[in-house]
Amino acid sequence: MRALILKDFYVVGKQARAFFLLLLVFTCLPGSFYNTFAIFYATMLPYTVMAYDERSKWDHLAPLLPYSPGEIVGSKYVLGYLSCLAAAALSLILRLALGSFLHQMPAQLVASTAAALGTGFCILAITLPLMFRFGVERGRLVMFFMIVLVCASAGVLGTIFFSAGELPPSSSLALPSALLLLGGLAVSILSIPLSIGIYRRRLARGN
Amino acid sequence: MNAIEMSHVKKRLGDFSIQDLSFALPSGAICGLVGENGAGKSTTIRLLLGGITPDSGAIRLLGTDSTDDAFLSVKEEVGVVLDDACFPETINASQLGNVMQRTYPRWDAAQYAAFLERFELPAKKPISKFSRGMRMKLSLSAALSHHARLLLLDEATAGLDPIVRDEILDLLLEFARDEGHTVLLSSHILSDLEKVCDYIAFLSHGRLLLYEDKDQLLETYALFTGTAEQADSLMEEAVVGRENQPYGGVRCLVRRDMVPPTLDLQRPTVEDVILFLVKGAKDTCAR
Repeated sequence: MRALILKDFYVVGKQARAFFLLLLVFTCLPGSFYNTFAIFYATMLPYTVMAYDERSKWDHLAPLLPYSPGEIVGSKYVLGYLSCLAAAALSLILRLALGSFLHQMPAQLVASTAAALGTGFCILAITLPLMFRFGVERGRLVMFFMIVLVCASAGVLGTIFFSAGELPPSSSLALPSALLLLGGLAVSILSIPLSIGIYRRRLARGN
Repeated sequence: MNAIEMSHVKKRLGDFSIQDLSFALPSGAICGLVGENGAGKSTTIRLLLGGITPDSGAIRLLGTDSTDDAFLSVKEEVGVVLDDACFPETINASQLGNVMQRTYPRWDAAQYAAFLERFELPAKKPISKFSRGMRMKLSLSAALSHHARLLLLDEATAGLDPIVRDEILDLLLEFARDEGHTVLLSSHILSDLEKVCDYIAFLSHGRLLLYEDKDQLLETYALFTGTAEQADSLMEEAVVGRENQPYGGVRCLVRRDMVPPTLDLQRPTVEDVILFLVKGAKDTCAR
């Protein structure tokens, strides 16, 4: 799988520069929700790679090389998780460094980043099987729909429960954040074998 | 030992199907897979490597069944070249080498570098900037740099100029010089196959119509050119294909052992044999 992950990182190399720039911009903006955008953006990197794979026909070649379906599918999950973790870590470090300027408490930042990370994992876990089932073109539409749904839900819930533009106290964020993170990991445990099954069925169907 | 064995393999893909495909290619041989567009050549190669799962039948590569857990490690001994390089276009040849090094345990970085140099392929230029010829050379370089025992090529010479094609065919012959090395090569360019192949497999509409030793094939069949009356006098079973000549007379592909020895016959090319078989000239030409 190391070969596939390395290949994916080479492919997103140029995208990564734009990603880091966006990450910087989002992180430096005052407001509680912007750092989560960076993590959501990171969830899109596996789909960018899959689009490149389709364009170059790598997706036709890879099953003929000595990679198992588990490695081919798993590499996209690993790329997604690593991208989300990198986005979360960088965003958190930058936000903590800018903490006094942004008027946010470290505990609040950690909790909100963990919540965003959990949501990112959930997005990956739900959309990657769709990408393997429908391909990138159609799967992407579902992906955008998911992100809009997540963002809109977060906005509505935030408006209902908390005053606009401010993070709730870290104590009230800790439990939902931990649950989201654990939920994201739990959904992933179900999602990975599901994607491998979908991929195997694609090989059986011959497309 | 057989490098490739397909036994009663069937696969339905929408309207198309591979029908009861069986053949065995001995180690050390080069086999040309011929057929019109959509005959099932690419599907056969994908079936061989597990890129498509067969509906029924058995496939063995280098002695290992495709359903065996060890099949994945067998694929480490197979080099694959498709009709396009199929490598991510944003990466370069050097990065591709790094990826392949982690793909094949027996990757030979020095060999790969030697191929890049031999083919004058730039190591740091993105693959998207490569010409088709350069891509195919890169693909071959990758396929031949991990000490493969079996090489599968799907239309690898299509769309290339004769000089590049010749270079690639020379490389195949060089590879096949080792008697443990086997090649299965699909191509439309029958003269290329005639130059390098020991065996010819002819697929049509998913069926294997012919699988023979090339020399045997050219010994079995012969070309007869003469008048329609002369052709009519031959046994019906002896005439495999027949076509009218533009300036009168007929040209027939005949079974050498079924025509009188006094008849003046010419040695056919693989292209002649295949074209007569494809056109089904015997059935379509009115006697």
